[in-house]
Amino acid sequence: MSALVSDVGTRTAVAAANLVKVYGKGDTAVRALDGVSVAFEAGKFTAIMGPSGSGKSTLMHCLAGLDNVDGGTVHIAGTEITSLGDKDLTKLRRDRIGFVFQAFNLLPTLSAEQNVLLGLELAGRKPDRAWFDTIVDVLGLRERLRHKPTELSGGQQQRVACARALVAKPDVVFADEPTGNLDSRSGAEVLDFLRMSVRKLGQTVIMVTHDPVAASYADRVVLLADGHLAGEIDNPTADSVLSALKHLGA
Amino acid sequence: MLRTILAGIKARTARLVLSSVAIALGVAFVTGTLVLGDAMSAGMREEFAKSARNVDFAVTMSGDAKGIGAEELAKIRRTPGVAGADPRGFVPVPLITSAGKAKPALAVPLGSTEKLREYDLSTGRYPASDNEVAVDVRTASTAKLTVGGPVTLLGKDEQKREFTLVGTYQQGVGEMSMSGADHLVLTPAAFQSFDPERLAYQAVGVAADGYTQQQVTDAVAKALEGTGLRVQTGEELTADTLRSISSQAAEFTAFLLAFAVIALVVAAMVIYNTFTILVAQRTRELALMRCVGASRKQVFRSVLAEAVVMGFAASVIGLFGGLGVSALLQQLIGGFVTGGASPSVQLPLTGTTVLAAFGVGVLVTVLAAVLPARRATRVPPVAALRSQPDSSEEVSRTGRLRVLLAVLLGVGGAGVIVLGLGLEEQAAMMVTGAGTMIVLAAVLVLGPLLVGPVNRALGVVPRALFGVPAKLASANAGRNPKRTAATTAALMIGVTIVAMVTVVANSAKETANAQIDERMPADYTVTSSVPSRLLPAELATQLAASPAVERVAPTAEVVGEGAYFVAVAQDSLGNLFRPKVESGSLADLKAGTIAVRSDYAKAEGLTVGSTKAVKTENGSGDLKVVAIVTGQRLGDGVVTLETAKALNPELAGYDSIMVKLKPGVADSRAAVEQVTDTSPLAVLDSAAETKEQLNKQLDQVLAFVWAMIGLAVVIALFGIANTLTLSVLERTRESALLRALGLTRGQLRLMLVVESVLMAVMGAAIGLVLGVGFGWVITTAVSTDAVAVVLTVPFGQIAAMLGAAVVAAVLAAALPARRAARTSVVAGMAEA
Ligand SMILES: Nc1ncnc2c1ncn2[C@@H]1O[C@H](COP(=O)(O)OP(=O)(O)O)[C@@H](O)[C@H]1O
Ligand SMILES: [Mg+2]
Repeated sequence: MSALVSDVGTRTAVAAANLVKVYGKGDTAVRALDGVSVAFEAGKFTAIMGPSGSGKSTLMHCLAGLDNVDGGTVHIAGTEITSLGDKDLTKLRRDRIGFVFQAFNLLPTLSAEQNVLLGLELAGRKPDRAWFDTIVDVLGLRERLRHKPTELSGGQQQRVACARALVAKPDVVFADEPTGNLDSRSGAEVLDFLRMSVRKLGQTVIMVTHDPVAASYADRVVLLADGHLAGEIDNPTADSVLSALKHLGA
Repeated sequence: MLRTILAGIKARTARLVLSSVAIALGVAFVTGTLVLGDAMSAGMREEFAKSARNVDFAVTMSGDAKGIGAEELAKIRRTPGVAGADPRGFVPVPLITSAGKAKPALAVPLGSTEKLREYDLSTGRYPASDNEVAVDVRTASTAKLTVGGPVTLLGKDEQKREFTLVGTYQQGVGEMSMSGADHLVLTPAAFQSFDPERLAYQAVGVAADGYTQQQVTDAVAKALEGTGLRVQTGEELTADTLRSISSQAAEFTAFLLAFAVIALVVAAMVIYNTFTILVAQRTRELALMRCVGASRKQVFRSVLAEAVVMGFAASVIGLFGGLGVSALLQQLIGGFVTGGASPSVQLPLTGTTVLAAFGVGVLVTVLAAVLPARRATRVPPVAALRSQPDSSEEVSRTGRLRVLLAVLLGVGGAGVIVLGLGLEEQAAMMVTGAGTMIVLAAVLVLGPLLVGPVNRALGVVPRALFGVPAKLASANAGRNPKRTAATTAALMIGVTIVAMVTVVANSAKETANAQIDERMPADYTVTSSVPSRLLPAELATQLAASPAVERVAPTAEVVGEGAYFVAVAQDSLGNLFRPKVESGSLADLKAGTIAVRSDYAKAEGLTVGSTKAVKTENGSGDLKVVAIVTGQRLGDGVVTLETAKALNPELAGYDSIMVKLKPGVADSRAAVEQVTDTSPLAVLDSAAETKEQLNKQLDQVLAFVWAMIGLAVVIALFGIANTLTLSVLERTRESALLRALGLTRGQLRLMLVVESVLMAVMGAAIGLVLGVGFGWVITTAVSTDAVAVVLTVPFGQIAAMLGAAVVAAVLAAALPARRAARTSVVAGMAEA
């Protein structure tokens, strides 16, 4: 497995090898991830799919250095992260990773603009103004920059979160059910933007979803079942994803 | 699932415990105060009982009767039914310490009836012959006297008389010992020899077998008919004495209760705030209850029930804590109440105290919970469906009503202050004090509107120092102005009061120091250690003859009817003695004239040129008013020593001798002491030493007040810790998000510490501004024409208070910050 990682290291943004994550102890122990090996190409939009409880979120948390693993390794842009301490992980997250969560993405005390720039500020980096303007305009947030999150709709909030994830030009953006709380139109806007950021801006995006329509926006779908890798679909459509899921018995 | 439930209960327990601590501290303080009051009156009762013990009847001077002489005593003793009777009286008899200096002391005659003695033998025996003496235990130790050794007492005209110390005794807390005077017992004959004309103020006696108290009292009353003496039974005497004690103890308890009330108000605010937050956080839970059919009443009751349980539990803890507080306070102040005797700690727990503890604890908690509980009933069932508890609604309504109320209170308070400024002394202080408290209430009401600007202003410093975490902290401190205001209000009250007392005390200190400077232009002032004995006239001559002394200025006192005047040497006017002249001239002050103090002149209708008739014990004269003066130590007016001599030919000696030294005298004190050592009465004061002594006393009072208010401040800090803990719980997801985005653990902790410090400094800063302002108001109120109290702001102490607030805030943030930093990112994100 380690051969796989080093071979494609230059083109691989994120790679996991033999990942194991166990919750609890003894009889009640749950193997949420049971030897998952998977690589994510740079400059691609990948969706992680699977039935509820299959370990999607757990996988994402482990890949992003949000949670520690019980076995295996994770590399992000060539850096082994499973052996890093909390401080280094924090630094890695703020310098090289962008996040979009399902809900509660924004700090209620900060304006939309402050929220977008928060990660950069934490890293002590100056924002690239031209890049910031591009993102804001593409997402149609120009008029909303001074607003507080409570004054924004759900879709707008998620777009602000997308802007925040991308403004620092991270090595990889992780999105966990980014459209889970949105109506289909707002969801489509967010997904369009994520796809556009990959196609036009060369971003790497890894998105967790259980929605076949959302997955169809991706370049590739990785299927997960019971903590195991259960197949892949390249250039997925909503139909192909749905039938693959049916095979998994979901 | 079970994990979530357990975590919920655990988190909830922590919250409830924190809030309970605040109320328990408040209750502990109230209980402690009440127990202390009871202990004190019990202690005094016991001690005082000594003066009334075994007494069957008492004859006390009253009205016309000047006292009880030998004749009356003999009559009493002859009365049938009287088994024994003894006079009670005292004579000031200075005692020479081992250092050779006189020390004022009171002598009492040894009672012939052993049962009637007010003191208990401690070592040795009582005097049996006329050259023997027994002294109070405390006197023996302070004057370094040993049983079997010699004791020198100072008789009339500084005649030294040698006695032998044969025993020591413990005296009861009587009127004499309450004054803290030293005390000794002589045989009746020896006692008599010190002042043959002195009459006893009281005689007490015991009844013979077969006579009741009432019978013997009636018999004595009949025997003394026409003397005007008051005769009462022993029981009546006991009741009389106890009445006076109880009122003394009650006064002190009231003083302490004032502090307890402050502590309680602060605790109530903390509790109120806690319940408000708890209810806000439980919005969804309560809404869910409403969804499944709970009525408003049921929701109200469930919140209130929690308050009752909490208040009850906290009261139990507070009650026991109060016993500890009381023990501590007794140790602290015991010395000064019992006059130095080592206090025995007593913890009487009366039903009243227990009732007060529970009443206060439960009532305050329930009252503090009523508003939040009412708010809980307004939670609409749909709130359960909202994904996120939203406190923005709570934030938005800082309406016009609030401003209106604040303005009304502010104007009212200002009005009361203005009213108070027009009054005099005690009343001025009380009324302006009340006014300042109303203004404080206005600021409290206005609080939520102040949070924004104050927070922005204060946030500048940490933002410059710590960057993003501080910026986030400042945003958090300002996100819910009502909550922040309520949290900081408690601290604000404490700091306001401390700052006010500190400013007033320091102003008083400075003013007193300035007065000492004015009053003591001399380098040293020689006075008599025994107020009733004058300094011999030769001492002034001897001092003047000393090569180190430039000039001396003796003063004496002339006591007229309803007035007293200070007599000074004519040549000391304008140098060692320089009152301010309002009209007339001191140059005209010579024999037969007087300079009158301005307020006395006003009261008596005197002006320059009018005549004042003065009558003393031994003479009289008409004095021409030549000047109206103001200043310190003038009595009602100033005359020359010649005038004094003319008014009172018996006047021999001086009250004080001011000494001015030649410049450049090396060891000035030694130079003066060389002369004064020849007189046992003479004590030396210098302005510097007097100031030091006075400052020490004021500092002690201040320290006491600081300690008392300290408790309120501690409660307030619990409030901050409480709010912070609750906020951290409320913001678990937010913290997790920040951690995911790259905020380090250290930065997260820093963020909470800065938030805590911001809240504390907010409260402290507003409190300090108010306190100093109120201090200014009160010093202005108590200033009179004669004594202008100068406002003194103790910047050092104020800086110390701010510093302490910062340190305490850091401590208050420690636990919540630890908790926040330990929560893992994933677990935090999963939190609902
Ligand atoms: N904190 C946790 N403690 C115990 N079990 C957990 C925890 N988080 C997830 N699990 C379990 O791990 C498995 C995978 O969960 P998750 O990764 O959240 O699935 P998904 O996101 O695909 O729905 C599930 O069986 C879930 O019950
Ligand atoms: Mg999930």
